[in-house]
Amino acid sequence: MARASSSTSHAGSAVLGKGASIRGRIAGEGDLRVDGTISGDVALKGDLIVSDGAEVVADVQARAVVVEGAIEGDISATSSVAIRASARVSGAISGTSISIEEGANVSGRIDAQFDLPPELGGKSGR
Amino acid sequence: MASTVIAQGMTIEGELTSDEDVVIQGTLRGKLTSKDTVNVESGAVVEADISASSLSVGGQITGNVTASDRVDLMAGGRLIGDVKASRLTIADGASFKGNVDMDV
Repeated sequence: MARASSSTSHAGSAVLGKGASIRGRIAGEGDLRVDGTISGDVALKGDLIVSDGAEVVADVQARAVVVEGAIEGDISATSSVAIRASARVSGAISGTSISIEEGANVSGRIDAQFDLPPELGGKSGR
Repeated sequence: MASTVIAQGMTIEGELTSDEDVVIQGTLRGKLTSKDTVNVESGAVVEADISASSLSVGGQITGNVTASDRVDLMAGGRLIGDVKASRLTIADGASFKGNVDMDV
């Protein structure tokens, strides 16, 4: 999965349990898995996993993002974004690579920052 | 493992509500409500009113604390605020400033 390397240093990985909800701002160095509900803002240096059944109403910044649940808000990843089949996403998505599985419900802008291969990009990239 | 863990290096500003147990190793400012156990571990910083069934404090809390069952202040723990709980233990080496209401 998109659990990018082990560069999380000593910052542990955090979990928001199924019966838990946060209203407000979350910031952190490590990874976060959300099984519950968040409304507010999320800014992580580590990876974010939004599990099936979880609900996030927030703009989200993280390294890699995996969505199996619902996100209402913009997703901005410095690494990959993976939208799984069970996911519902409404908001802009940006990342170095973006994958969307069949069955996922996505509405919003998608902005993948990657270099086009020469046969598509031509000389000047468009 | 606990159902909700706020890891070291993580900061929450706002309100955390949980039906299940919560472990704080990082920082929380705002309000914390749990129907189960709350464990504020050594190194954690909490500036919030806490309500839980039971609370154990190894880190730092500034705020008023209410527990339906018990509050345990561990050695090295630091609590500035009022405690409302039917049972309270304060270990040797813990610091505490505030009022205690054991509801007798």
